[in-house]
Amino acid sequence: MPKEKKQELNVLLIEDDNNKAEVLINALDCSQYCIRHVATTGMSLLKQVEQLQPNIIIIDVESPNRDILDSLSILSTSNPKPVVMFSAQGDTETINATVKSGVSAYVAGGVDPERVRSIIDTAVAQFSAYQALKSELVKTKQRLSNQRVIDQAKTWLMESKSLTEKEAYHRIRKMAMDNSQKLEDVAKNILSLAQLLEKSS
Amino acid sequence: MNMNHHQFFELEIADIALGFMPLTDCAPLVVAYELGYFADVGLNVTLKKQYSWATMRDKLHAGVLDVAQFLAPMPMASTLGLSGEAVNVIAPMVLSQNGNGITISTALYEEIKFSNQIHRIDFPISAALLKPIVEARKESGSKLKFATVYPHSCHYYQLTSWLTQNNVAIDDVEIVIIPPASMVEALQSDDIDGFCVGGPWNAKAVRDGVGVTGVTSCDIWPDMPEKVLAMREDWQLRYPEATKAIIFALQRACNWLTHVANRFEAARILSRHPYLDLHLSVIAPSLIGSCLVHHSLSPRHIPSYNRFSVEGIDTINKPELFHGEWLLSQMVKHQHIEPKQAQETLIKKVFRQDIYLSAFGSPEAKNNVAVFKSTKIGL
Repeated sequence: MPKEKKQELNVLLIEDDNNKAEVLINALDCSQYCIRHVATTGMSLLKQVEQLQPNIIIIDVESPNRDILDSLSILSTSNPKPVVMFSAQGDTETINATVKSGVSAYVAGGVDPERVRSIIDTAVAQFSAYQALKSELVKTKQRLSNQRVIDQAKTWLMESKSLTEKEAYHRIRKMAMDNSQKLEDVAKNILSLAQLLEKSS
Repeated sequence: MNMNHHQFFELEIADIALGFMPLTDCAPLVVAYELGYFADVGLNVTLKKQYSWATMRDKLHAGVLDVAQFLAPMPMASTLGLSGEAVNVIAPMVLSQNGNGITISTALYEEIKFSNQIHRIDFPISAALLKPIVEARKESGSKLKFATVYPHSCHYYQLTSWLTQNNVAIDDVEIVIIPPASMVEALQSDDIDGFCVGGPWNAKAVRDGVGVTGVTSCDIWPDMPEKVLAMREDWQLRYPEATKAIIFALQRACNWLTHVANRFEAARILSRHPYLDLHLSVIAPSLIGSCLVHHSLSPRHIPSYNRFSVEGIDTINKPELFHGEWLLSQMVKHQHIEPKQAQETLIKKVFRQDIYLSAFGSPEAKNNVAVFKSTKIGL
């Protein structure tokens, strides 16, 4: 079987200290990773993250800029990125044991290239799995809430128009088809109308 | 008076790693260390300076730090697992109230005067004055940009409260997260139009002539917890006496900070290299109740700009149910959590006033706290 060529990953390395950065760059296989090293902070860093759209970010665990990256995953205004953190201190192993969100992984600085690579690969894989799970969860939630809205609209129609459940459902479906709208959007309209009527009565 | 408090606590552990952020309101932690209050209860505390809330959180979760200074909403965020794995973190003590401010660029300050056709602006500045600018930017397809320090923070919620209370929609501005130490530079380089941050960074912007501090957190929602003492729930269960001793020592520090004169001394300590490493002239003002507003205007007098304890009031350091309710309501409002996650059981699980009270459980301990309240302990 021919060797599958791995897709090159864009890596953004954030590090003020050039010596430290060099250790990491050397540890990473340049044929597999396209590494961009920046030493900026604050707003200029945020701009670079947005501009470069890296696949993965590597940052010192003690960097104040970590909160910028953390906020990108919490506020998810832009695409969250897997973040790998390195630390000169030995406490990274302990931290790793508890950080399993898939968003972050810790790596000790100056370890052998083989390990750095495997940690980064794992981080990317974990992150993708985590993101897939997260978006699945959002979809499920959306589905559930759509169903709830439709049920409420049905109930309102049944009570106010003395329809059977089946009739109420057909009514909503017909309106949706006539106006080429989604069922949940029709249901939402019915409910806001119901609210309006209740307020005025 | 030679006070030896070893007898109160049968410590299970003496060596404690305590994480703090180099901000003005880390004063109780630094004071307890520098004035020997930790040592008095038999604790050997190492203060560990941290540079980001995310790393502070990860280290506390992992046990690299035993206890830490957290933003008030963070223990609940940890317990709910809002960023990473859920870890039960408790807050058995409130360390400070207030302390934040919103600073706008001098350019925006001038633009406010121009677009509202006024010659002077009253303080606190109303966000309503931003409206014509927000509208004008909308037409040109841009937005005013504000920065704050962390999503799950009072800063974030205070910034949005200030805007929405004056009918400026959050969606009509842009909010970014950058570290406190990057704020002044970002304002100077016109990358942002304003920020909401804690001391000493508001005062620094005014001193440098790049910003105008328009509002303090006291103007937006006063006297809510700002920073809390945080630890893992299982850490407290393992070391209940050490927990009490830490609270006891920190309460002594907070009480010492009641007096303005002592707070100035605290500013001197904080300005040293291991702590904030900044000039006294930017650290002292908020601690002594002065809010610098503009480089050519007199400061505003805001007595509780940084509050750690209040004379005459029983205690502001006990975590209260309504504190938690307020913070959760903010988290719901910003869709950081679902309404159904805002449970009273969560608040009671996190805001542990029972542990706070137990630190002063013995009658002897209670008497001694009373002594600290009325005695000015010199350096």
